Amino acid sequence: MNMRKGVVPWLFAAMVMLVGSNVAAVEGEGQPAVQQAPAPAGVTITIDKTELNNGGTIKVSGQAPAGKPVFLEVWAADHSVRANRFDSEVDKETGKRPYIFYITEEMPAYYKIFAPKDMQAKIDAAKKQGRKWSYSAVLKDLGAEGAYTVPAKTKIDHFQSTLMASIVGSRGDLLPAMDDKENRKRSMQLVKARFRSVDKVFAADVDVKPDGSYTADIKIREGLSPGKYKIVAAVDKATKSEAATFENKIAFPLVYLDNAGTSLNIFYPFLLTLVVAIFGVLMGAGGGFIMNPLLLTLFPALPHTIVAGTVTPTVLFSQGSGIFNYSKIKFINWKLGCSIGVAMLLGGFIGPKLTEMITLDQFKFAFGWILLVLAALMLWQTMPAYLAKNKKEQAILKEFKKRAEEAAKGKN
Amino acid sequence: MKIEFWGQEFKVNMVIGCIGGFLIAVMSSMFGFGGGPFMVPLMTVALRLPMYLVVGSSLLAIFFNTSISTMRHYQFGNFDLYFFLAMFPAAILGGYIAPQIAKRVSPLVVKRVACVGLVLLALNLLGVY
Repeated sequence: MNMRKGVVPWLFAAMVMLVGSNVAAVEGEGQPAVQQAPAPAGVTITIDKTELNNGGTIKVSGQAPAGKPVFLEVWAADHSVRANRFDSEVDKETGKRPYIFYITEEMPAYYKIFAPKDMQAKIDAAKKQGRKWSYSAVLKDLGAEGAYTVPAKTKIDHFQSTLMASIVGSRGDLLPAMDDKENRKRSMQLVKARFRSVDKVFAADVDVKPDGSYTADIKIREGLSPGKYKIVAAVDKATKSEAATFENKIAFPLVYLDNAGTSLNIFYPFLLTLVVAIFGVLMGAGGGFIMNPLLLTLFPALPHTIVAGTVTPTVLFSQGSGIFNYSKIKFINWKLGCSIGVAMLLGGFIGPKLTEMITLDQFKFAFGWILLVLAALMLWQTMPAYLAKNKKEQAILKEFKKRAEEAAKGKN
Repeated sequence: MKIEFWGQEFKVNMVIGCIGGFLIAVMSSMFGFGGGPFMVPLMTVALRLPMYLVVGSSLLAIFFNTSISTMRHYQFGNFDLYFFLAMFPAAILGGYIAPQIAKRVSPLVVKRVACVGLVLLALNLLGVY
């Protein structure tokens, strides 16, 4: 089957060559693998396959005007994800911090620009800047601004945040929509906020010959969104090819996580949670502490907001069953629990707002310190002094629990 | 505030309790964990309450926090259904298996292992290695 698919375009190409110029009419008759833009000054694009199985390599080739760099813009057309960024950096012109929150729901789940091979040095230079690299600067440096179109068109909402708004847990006031130019500029920052590393959004893989023909082996990595992807070859803003389309297929147990924008083998989080949950119960802490950092470390593709937002409800049910068990034997003081609970209610209202305002690096940094504090607490609980005191406490605890259980039984 | 529990009366400093609870709630909901391991020391050490009172009541307190933060995370679109469906059954299953194992291992050893594990994780997050 695969063999035939590979052969058909070549047969077709041979036919075109044999029959010569008279086949212009035939060309339109869908050969999905071969898509050509007829304009002489334009750019043509051909891809060697239209289907991938959880990533792979696609050979792209075509013809562009001689002597110009060719950029390939590749994006996922079927799935979009959320990208957000909280702008609290000092504005160079006014010297003030803007505190504006940008968010879009329409960022393609995959977006990457492939540049000519000789531009590798420029991409490497951007990588050396570490976390401080700027998407727009790299784009400009490569001269790829003409190729950057899809994220520029996404609808971006922006909110003016205030301290007060943050306290009540709101995003702030929605500001009027930005004009196209501003939207484009902000979209670049969102691309960085979403995809984070230079490698994810830039690669130098296009081999451009002096006569203008180009070839490229495009690597689509594993664990991306399924569905249709599009490739456009661009020389500048006006000179572009038609979009070539291919499909990325994933099959169970790989599952695409819509909000996270990545696919992963669903058994991994299952097994991980199982181990962590058992260990969590044994050490007397909910699994959330270990679960979150582990997920972040093992699945770097998952956004921290999704990790935090999905682990929380998982923890909720184990707490609920715990409360139910304790309440059966009347081992809860409702007055105390509810009073402190109200204060925690307020805190829990604000927290999730803050999650989306911080970047992954800030998240990791803060979480790292929290874990160190927790480790210190754990260590303290294994100290002899604590153990001696705890032994007494545990004995009383057991005694009271026994009494409570007996009381509950007596009633039944 | 005075509370009564199994025939004994306790005085609770609600100012410390509420401020501490609030801060723990912000932190735990922000990073998506329960908050129990912080809540128990707060109530035993800072509020000087006995363990047998704390175990159940702290759970109730953090339940408030976790339920509201679940709602808020959902509202902000931070919740992924499939991801949740992969983790949730495992968490329930873990809750059943753990008590079986608990009889055979010393909590002291578990805590020490946890301690090392947490430090390693923390250093990883802080980018030390």
